[in-house]
Amino acid sequence: MAHPVLRRLAAVPPAYWVFALLLLTLWIARPNMLNPNVLGIFVRQVVPLGILVLGQLLVMRVRSIDLSGGGVILLINYIITSRTFPEASGLTFVALALAIGGAVGLLNGYMVARRRVSAVIVTLAVSIILVGLVQFLSSGTPPGDVPKYMNEIFDIKYGPLPLPVLFWLGCTGLVWLVMQHSVYGRYVEAVGESAEAAAFSGVPVERTVVLAHVLAGLIAAVAALVQTGSIAVGSVRVGLDLPILAVAATILGGVVFGRGEGGVWGPFFGVLSFALLFVVMTVFGIDEAGKLIAQGLIILMAAILYGTRAKRG
Amino acid sequence: MIRWFTSGFSARRSRHGLWGVPLVIAVALVAILSLGTDQFATRENLFNLVAQAMPLLIAAIGQLFVILVGGLDLSVGSIISFSTAILSLDGPAVVLIPAVFVLAAAVGLINGLVITRMGVHPIIATLAMQYVLLGITRILRPVSGGTVPDLVIAAVQGSVLGVPLPLFWGIIAVGLAAKILYGSRFGLHLFAIGGGVAAGMDDAASTYGIRVGRNIVLAYVASALFAALAGVFLAGRIVSGDPNVGLLFELDAITAAAIGGTQLSGGVGSLHGTVLGAIVLALLANGMNLANVSPFIQTAIKGGLLLAIVGLQSRKKMGL
Repeated sequence: MAHPVLRRLAAVPPAYWVFALLLLTLWIARPNMLNPNVLGIFVRQVVPLGILVLGQLLVMRVRSIDLSGGGVILLINYIITSRTFPEASGLTFVALALAIGGAVGLLNGYMVARRRVSAVIVTLAVSIILVGLVQFLSSGTPPGDVPKYMNEIFDIKYGPLPLPVLFWLGCTGLVWLVMQHSVYGRYVEAVGESAEAAAFSGVPVERTVVLAHVLAGLIAAVAALVQTGSIAVGSVRVGLDLPILAVAATILGGVVFGRGEGGVWGPFFGVLSFALLFVVMTVFGIDEAGKLIAQGLIILMAAILYGTRAKRG
Repeated sequence: MIRWFTSGFSARRSRHGLWGVPLVIAVALVAILSLGTDQFATRENLFNLVAQAMPLLIAAIGQLFVILVGGLDLSVGSIISFSTAILSLDGPAVVLIPAVFVLAAAVGLINGLVITRMGVHPIIATLAMQYVLLGITRILRPVSGGTVPDLVIAAVQGSVLGVPLPLFWGIIAVGLAAKILYGSRFGLHLFAIGGGVAAGMDDAASTYGIRVGRNIVLAYVASALFAALAGVFLAGRIVSGDPNVGLLFELDAITAAAIGGTQLSGGVGSLHGTVLGAIVLALLANGMNLANVSPFIQTAIKGGLLLAIVGLQSRKKMGL
């Protein structure tokens, strides 16, 4: 890896390689699948994951982690579908969702940054509490239907481009702007590199981490709204595997605890890779078991190829 | 003795962690349950309690090894499911039982090598392993079924001289772990390595001549082996292979270790604390069932307890 070109290539987040490889496979095996209408439908399915990843990459860049997204999604989905607030309009739901997401994020951030409790444990505990709360409120039975207008918004398409996909692109662009061009983005980068060095340089380390968690909570709330729009009937299991998948996609995108060469678009392509992986697997008739194995191996290979250059974080 | 005891109540200056809190909670729960309900102190219920608690206890002990070196093993649940699937295959017990442990050791070895040699973060490495193992388990046994060797069933169900056999599993697992952690060089090295990792110097222990990488690998092997033991026990209880039996077990194991005062930053934790953590979780589940608390709110209470207890254990390091 001494050659500068090779070194440069090795620095490219694995997500781009995987995405290109999967696209090539699909192009060779089933060229007819590569039309915007078909792909649009598959990509639309991963939009909630894609949005959740934006929060995950933010907290992972400050060397934290957020596993509470599943609980947030579940609770918001429950509130909307159970008609706990029968008179509520769409905007009320949005406000309520953001309030829940923000509150959960604030709690996570306070515990992680101020109380200095392990982020894995805190966000895990918060997720357990939220899941338990929803199970208690619903007594284990699935809640009601999703309001029609939410499904309708989710189904809007501009040409071949579904609205949720455009929304995802917009959100990703927004986070990219914040990371690239705001003081806060620089703070996040500094804290990720070294919290001690950042503190000595006058970066408000604790506040940066708290804010990262609050933003992750708000983003999880947005993901919850999109997720709710994507299903017709409420469920007490929806979204529980999303946080772990989000961690996986973020890693694939070249953002590892504290290191962020992948930027915002790396994880974006990480999510797209997962979407494409499912298309390819379905095309080749590989079952659930094969999908799990492939997913695991891809994460592992990506982490190994990407991690050998750096010391364990 | 008194000093050792009081150290369990202070998060500082103790490598054992805050294990006094789960002790108090456990004693309080036993007192409340035996006074408050008629069914708790019955022989039948205590039998049940021990059998229910055992897989979690064993898996949590395994998790303790890797947490002590500042790692985390998310593949525990998948190893448990994988073990039950292997045991439910057609074949003689003398082949299947050793096979479970050999394969688990291989899984642990891969985890450890990927983490130490390839520089992959433990969460990522063991998460990937979890996916792969779950996939293999689904191939071996798509839905629950098959039968487990009679030997395993006999060793889990039943009792000797009125003492339920699961209790012996616990005694053996705890005894083994005590010998490894407190009676061997390896155990001492684990604490030393973890202490360095917690202080932000990953290789601090190597300056004292400790082979850091090798010991970390062994910690993951130990975690996988204890998970396999928990898997064998569970297989004996459900009498069949089940691809979903270990689902989210790793999170319960981490919860038990954390309630027992083990710190995820490494170097701080104890076997007795972890055992107490598992006992608290088991008592909580058992007690709330007896008290007719909705099983759904139990989950929330468990999460709240975890949050409250780790909230007491502040540390210097921020983040994971």
